[in-house]
Amino acid sequence: MRRLVPLFWLLLATAHAEGISSLAPKLLPPEQAFRLSARALDADTIEARFDVADGYYLYRDRMHFATEPVPAAKAVLPPGKPKHDAFFGDVETYRGEVVVRVPLTKTAAGQKITLHADSQGCADVGVCYPPNPQQLTLVVPAVGDKPGAFVEPGSKGWFK
Amino acid sequence: MNGADVAAIDRAPTAPSRRRALIVAIIAAVALALGIAAAFLHRGGVDAVRDGSAVLKLVLPDANGQQQALAQWRGKVLVVNFWATWCAPCREEMPEFVATQARDGAKGVQFVGIAVDDPDKVRAFAKELKLNYPALIGGFGAIELSKTLGNDLAALPFTIVLDRQGRVAHTQLGPLKQAKLDALLGRLL
Repeated sequence: MRRLVPLFWLLLATAHAEGISSLAPKLLPPEQAFRLSARALDADTIEARFDVADGYYLYRDRMHFATEPVPAAKAVLPPGKPKHDAFFGDVETYRGEVVVRVPLTKTAAGQKITLHADSQGCADVGVCYPPNPQQLTLVVPAVGDKPGAFVEPGSKGWFK
Repeated sequence: MNGADVAAIDRAPTAPSRRRALIVAIIAAVALALGIAAAFLHRGGVDAVRDGSAVLKLVLPDANGQQQALAQWRGKVLVVNFWATWCAPCREEMPEFVATQARDGAKGVQFVGIAVDDPDKVRAFAKELKLNYPALIGGFGAIELSKTLGNDLAALPFTIVLDRQGRVAHTQLGPLKQAKLDALLGRLL
């Protein structure tokens, strides 16, 4: 079997190299390029983070947050880096770590809150990913409790 | 049944039968590997990428709402570009496509844009750019469509070049540089 392994990879590599000349092998899938996590800081606040990989950026005005069943107030987005876009005018982008506060109201301790986070970003090599709606579920801590643990979107669940 | 037979049955895990089990295991593993490889190739759209018929079967509305079949350009060197207004690298390469369409259109090149976008935004940008080739509206469904054509990461821009026989001559994720485009067209026209 061990002798067959290189053959197997050769087969895959040939098949892949044949048809597609692309940046694909160097590019990260969006959920790795823009890693989302969030935690309940306290009964009134969710902290959402995007960990943007080197060579990638997110658009500030494409980032939207919503919660249910309790609706969130407007998310507090940090200022981004100004960038001039020929078609959209002045926009702001984020690189590295982006920390966003999503204010909640009228939650109860132990309540489950679903956070919807929409984002859209690009890679410096010259590709953009489509808008990426993601969601994750957090539990509201009791008043005076420590912040909850960071949670990532459910799509990674089978690694846990 | 005599003692020898029973002994023979009891002796099941002997060297030859263990080897047979090993062979069966190897065959199973190879079959599994080939199955995975086949699924991978299929998912990766390499079959679809070789054969441009999936592209030529597309019928999409243009920015004015008229349905356009890509088959109408059969016999041309067809450059199908998936793009969006929200994709800056897409917009940046399009002036080159406009210039190339103007230069080589009469020689048999046809550019076709498939926008992963709203018709309003496409119309506005097409007007601004003085787009001289069709801008078809794929909406966000066009991302899924591009995945079936080999765009595994669902990123933009994504461009497929078909030769005059409808075979895929080139697939490009990311900008298609003018030099590369010229080399391709030099070969295909």
